Amino acid sequence: MTTQTITLESTRFGTLEIPHEAVVEFPNGLIGLGGHRYALLAREEEATFIWLHSLDDPDLALPLTNPWRFFTSFEVELADEEAERMGIEDSAEPTVYVTVRAAESLEDFSANLRAPILISHGQGYQVINQAPDAPVRAPLFAGSAEVAA
Amino acid sequence: MLIITRRPGEKVMFGDDVVIEVIEVSGSSVRIGIDAPKSIPVYREELWRAVKAENEAAAKSDAKLPKNLPLKT
Repeated sequence: MTTQTITLESTRFGTLEIPHEAVVEFPNGLIGLGGHRYALLAREEEATFIWLHSLDDPDLALPLTNPWRFFTSFEVELADEEAERMGIEDSAEPTVYVTVRAAESLEDFSANLRAPILISHGQGYQVINQAPDAPVRAPLFAGSAEVAA
Repeated sequence: MLIITRRPGEKVMFGDDVVIEVIEVSGSSVRIGIDAPKSIPVYREELWRAVKAENEAAAKSDAKLPKNLPLKT
């Protein structure tokens, strides 16, 4: 077993050595942001938020979360062209994340259900979700005003 | 911006691979057909802009995110 690592420079987290398995190639980049090489960083097992961190820009990182943790009825519907672009086969279910907009107060945290990130076999795509109820800014903690951070 | 006049059935080429065809003009709307390699994603601009804005906002998130989170009820 090889233990090769990649050095990731991060303005948020300092210099990190990350395993190759954490690297995700985005052939089309993130929508409007570009970038083709990112790494998935989790600070701990079962962390609510993980980071999608650029390997090329030390300042570029987005928090992600598992959408079903907050939105139990969440669904992803892909247009045929998009599924084809990803080369998705029915047998290989991709891992699904949504980007998180963090804020000062938890009530203002939101997730983008319209453009989830699908990762499969080290390749990632930010796709447009065709499901009807998929807002760009869905509150993560609506109705839960008092929370210990 | 380059501006060209096209009639229904006429097309515009972007390089050799991307073809935009004017399908139908009806009142204030225009139906267009897009033929592009599948490696090129195609977006409605307003949705692309909204997702770009969310990505940029997410990328401004602080390194410290809350840990003890309430479960949504």
